[in-house]
Parts: sequence; C-alpha cells; structure tokens
Amino acid sequence: MAKASKMSRLSKNEQRLAYRLLLPSFIILAVIAFYPLFQVFYTSFTDRVFASQREVQFVGFDNYFSLLGMTIAELPPIIDEETGEHLRDPNTGEYLYERPIRVLPRQPVRYREVSQFSWFGKRYVFGARDPIFIDAIGNTLVFTFFSVILETLLGLGIAMVVHSHFKGRGAMRAVMLVPWAVITVVSARIWQWMLTPSRAGFFNMIMSHLGLSDGQTAFLTVEAMQMPVMIAVDVWKTTPFMALLILAGLQTIPGELYEACQVDGASKLRRFFSITLPMVKPALFVALIFRTLDALRVFDVFQVLLGNRRYSMASYNYFQLIGNRNMGLASAIGVIIFIFIFVFAILYIRAMGVDEE
Amino acid sequence: MKMSKKAKRSVGKTLFYILIIFIFIYMLFPFYWAVNSSFKSEDQLMMTPATWVPRDTQGNFAPYFQNYIAVFQDGQFVRAIWNSTLVAGLTTLFALSIGSFAAFALGKLRFRGRKPSLYLILAMTMFPQVTVLAGLYAVITTLNLPTHLSMILSYMIFTLPFTTWVMTAFFKKLPTEIMQSAWVDGASPFQTFYMILLPLTAPALVTTGLLAFIAAWNEYLFALTFTSIDPSARTIPVAISLFGGSVARQEPFGEIMAAAVVVTIPVVLLVLIFQRKIVAGLTAGAVKG
Repeated sequence: MAKASKMSRLSKNEQRLAYRLLLPSFIILAVIAFYPLFQVFYTSFTDRVFASQREVQFVGFDNYFSLLGMTIAELPPIIDEETGEHLRDPNTGEYLYERPIRVLPRQPVRYREVSQFSWFGKRYVFGARDPIFIDAIGNTLVFTFFSVILETLLGLGIAMVVHSHFKGRGAMRAVMLVPWAVITVVSARIWQWMLTPSRAGFFNMIMSHLGLSDGQTAFLTVEAMQMPVMIAVDVWKTTPFMALLILAGLQTIPGELYEACQVDGASKLRRFFSITLPMVKPALFVALIFRTLDALRVFDVFQVLLGNRRYSMASYNYFQLIGNRNMGLASAIGVIIFIFIFVFAILYIRAMGVDEE
Repeated sequence: MKMSKKAKRSVGKTLFYILIIFIFIYMLFPFYWAVNSSFKSEDQLMMTPATWVPRDTQGNFAPYFQNYIAVFQDGQFVRAIWNSTLVAGLTTLFALSIGSFAAFALGKLRFRGRKPSLYLILAMTMFPQVTVLAGLYAVITTLNLPTHLSMILSYMIFTLPFTTWVMTAFFKKLPTEIMQSAWVDGASPFQTFYMILLPLTAPALVTTGLLAFIAAWNEYLFALTFTSIDPSARTIPVAISLFGGSVARQEPFGEIMAAAVVVTIPVVLLVLIFQRKIVAGLTAGAVKG
C-alpha cells in the first residue's frame, strides 16, 4: 500500500518534470512558428503593407486570386482579307495568329501571357493575372522533380560504389562530405563564376576547347539554360547527402543475404533488384521525402544566381515581402507553399504505406 | 575472341577505379576551381582561355595573394565572420540545451501527451520556414530585438526540432536502470538528468551540435530578410551574396573566391574530423525519422 502511493507520487513528479522540461521548447516554437503561422494565414486575407500607416483592410481571397488567377483563350488566326487564307510568316513559314494581348481579358483585371500552345489545330494562349508567380510555381516544380530524381539516381550509384571494398574507401567517404559542408550561397557563387559568359569561365573555356560553342554562352541569362543550371548546382551540392543516407541503408543489409544469392547463382543485376533495392527502400524513401520537401522551398540558389530574373516560389515570396513590402501577398505565397509541401508530405506518407514508428 | 576470366576481372577493376576517380573529381572540382581563382589577379581572372593554375602572361606559375589580404582588410567581411560565428554558436548552444531538456522528457519520462508531443516535433522538422517568413518578420519587428538575437531566435525553427528529435533517439537508447538506480539512491529526476544522463550523451551532443551549427552557418533566407535594415549584422552567406554588389564595376570574383575558400576550409576541417559522428547523426536524424 505504502509502496503504491510512493510510486504514484514518483510518477506524478515524473509527469510534472516532463512538462517543465518541455515548456521552454514549446514556448519558443509558439513564438517563432505557431504564432507566425497563424499570423501568415490571417494576413494572407488582408492587404497589409509592411511599415505603412494605412489601415489594413480585409480582402478575402483577393491575394490568392491575384496570384493564381488563370485563363485560357483561343487565338484567332490572322486571315488574309483578299484570299481568305490563313497568313504565314514570310520568313519562317509558320502560321500567324492574333496577338495574345487582344484576346486576354483586361477588365476588371488584366491577364498576361504565360505561354502558348496548340491543340487540335487551334492555337491557344495561357494567361495569368500574375504570370511571374505562375512561372515561379512551374520553376519550383520542375526544379524539384529533376533535382530529386537526379540526386536519387546519382546518390544510389555513388552509395553503391562507396559501399564496395576498395583502397581509399575511407578517403572517398570523407570527400563526399565536402560539397555538403560548403555553404549553399558560397557554392552558388562558385558556380556563378565557373559559368561566366566568356572563356574566362570554366564551362565556356571547356566548351570552346571541345568545339561545342563559341565560348560566349550566357548560362544564367539564356532562358532555356536557367533551369538546367539551377538543377545542376543543386545536384552537386546535395547528391552527397543523398548518397550518405542511402549508404546508411546499404550498411544495414546483412552480408549473408548476398552470399545466399551467390550460391543460387543469381546475376549481379538480379541481386540488385531482388536484394539491394527492396532493402534500401525505407532509407531511400525517407531521403526522398526530406529532399522533396527541401527542394520545394528552394531559395538560396535562385536568389543568388537569378535574382530578379526568374523566381522560385520562395524567392518570389522574399521579393514581395522585402522588395514590395506587400505583406498580404507575401503571406498568401507562404500559405500556398505550405499547402504544396503539406500535400507532397501526405502523398509520400500514403505511398510509403507506413505510419511513423 | 573470349577474354579470360582474369583479364575480364582486371578490366572491370580498371573501369571501377575510373568511376571512382570521376566521382572524386566531380565532388572536389568546384572547390578546386575556387581555390585556383582565389590566387589570380583581376587580369589573370580575365585571361582567356582560363588557366588551370594561376599563370602570368609568359605562362609561368604566378600565384597572387592580394585577394586574401583584401578580404581580411574588408571590415564588412571580417564582421560577417564574427556575426556568423556568434549567431551560429549561440543558436547551437540554445538549441542543444533547450532541445536536450525536451529530449530527456520525450525519451525517458512517462507522461500524458508524450506521443502527440513527439509527433509535433517530428512534423516541425519538416516545417517549411519560408512559409512563416512574413509572419516571423512581423513578430521580430514587434519584439524589436537586436538583429543578432532575432536571427538566433528564428534559427530555433529548424535547429530545435532537429536537436530534440535526434537527442530523443539517443536518450531512448540509454538503459533505464541507470536512471532508476539513481532515483533509488535519492537523486531527484533533474539531478539524474543533469549529472548522469547528460554526460553519457556527450558524444551525441557533439554530433547534434555540429549539425545544428552547420545548418545555422548556412542559413540565408532569414539572415537576408532580417539584416535588410541592419547591414552591420550581416552573416557570411549574406555578405558573400552581396559582395561587391554595391560597387558599379565588374564583380570582384577573385576576392569572392578567396572569401569562399576562407569560410569553407574551417567547416570542411570540422566535418572531416567528426566525419563518422556526422554520418551517424545525419542518419539518426533522417533514417530513424
């Protein structure tokens, strides 16, 4: 009887101690995460401008509409008035269409062109109220998709190489940590210098040496080159991290499994698909989640290398907040990023088919 | 013609080593190029085609050291090193102490609400910081804290959940008997934590602290935002991203590369010294998540 009451007193003490130990963490997280999150949701429905005396108005979903408003309109062909035929460009021979500005709505708000496409012989224009943000969403998704896939494949390859026995394996594993230890902004600056649009830059020097270009390629200003460059810079910096996580997974595979497989005379390829891949799958999935969620909020490389030329969702958020002082709009962007990341996290957890723990 | 088994194996081995050398070069090349460029004068940098080592016009090896001297004479950059060290150091200290309190509770104590707290911390490790940028900026300006302190506070967003999560895993692994025998001897739970469990987790603290330090050392978004009104508080990433940007001449890439090398070498050394621990910490933070 006495013992039981002592135990319960002890466990009560334990409980009280636990709450006391957790309190500082939760206070800090409340101040810097939960409250700001609530504030961002609230502000996204207002037209608040930073450091302004103007009264804040509640604007409902206006910020979201102005960021995400999209439309598609058909572009009528330009008809030659005499022959009644569809006009072609005299130089390129391509059909000519009405200019997008004439078909996109202008009242009550203006839509601007994002891109054009053809569908069943008709020409359409895809317009948006904020083409820059729509472009930023596209950039972020393209960036996430390709960088995560490349990092996973390269990381898996490197992890398997480093997992096998060879002289200097320890040194190789150390070398893998170097890109990871370089500050992202610093790595972006190093790549920026290597990508200089003259033969003073490494890539132009090599390319002109190999006769691939005139040595004047402006990697960061030519639009078609921008995204591949962003992805390449990120892949260099993050693949080692991926490889390390996958390597940790590889190391948990017991050697006997391979031996048994060898006795059965299975080929190397077979061994990879029936042992290695299923066994590293959990580690691979976790690495994938972390990288995907990370890539969706990419900021550093876009901000340093492209500045105001092209945005990711996060760098557009920064631009709206600091450049335009538009807190309402910036908050709405924050919420949109949050939703993207939330959806991806849920999808991944569903796909893995596991509950935590 | 059929290759003998031996020949086949040696071809395979050669290919394997070529692959390893290729990976090695890929990982180190950009850093090598930064070192190479940091020893070039502005004229040498503009030489076309670019050279693999610093050379003069006759083609002789001619390293140039002025960039490093210039970087250390640049008050802004030296201050940035100090700012970063201060901010990352204190962030680490706070995250470790506050985080290990929480981790002890989550890993070793029984209390109501343990599971939800654990899930909340796990969810927080995936929290997108950029989402709260605008809200946090408002909080920071309302609190009117010094810029350094506001950076330290806001870096808790990513360091605190991470340290808590990893430390919880370490605490869980410690045998509960140690704790119970201390209690039987009359030690209070807090004494048990402070005098017995904490020393045992010292290796974990080093690892987790190093990872938190690197994360804070790396941080750019919050630093750029919060120092926009206080340039004297700029950290290294901000200083390097804005290096020479205010002057209307060509960007001084020689100095930028020298600065890049200066800030990278200490971290690389730290990482190499603690290599094994870091890998263990990274995998504890992620794989066990």
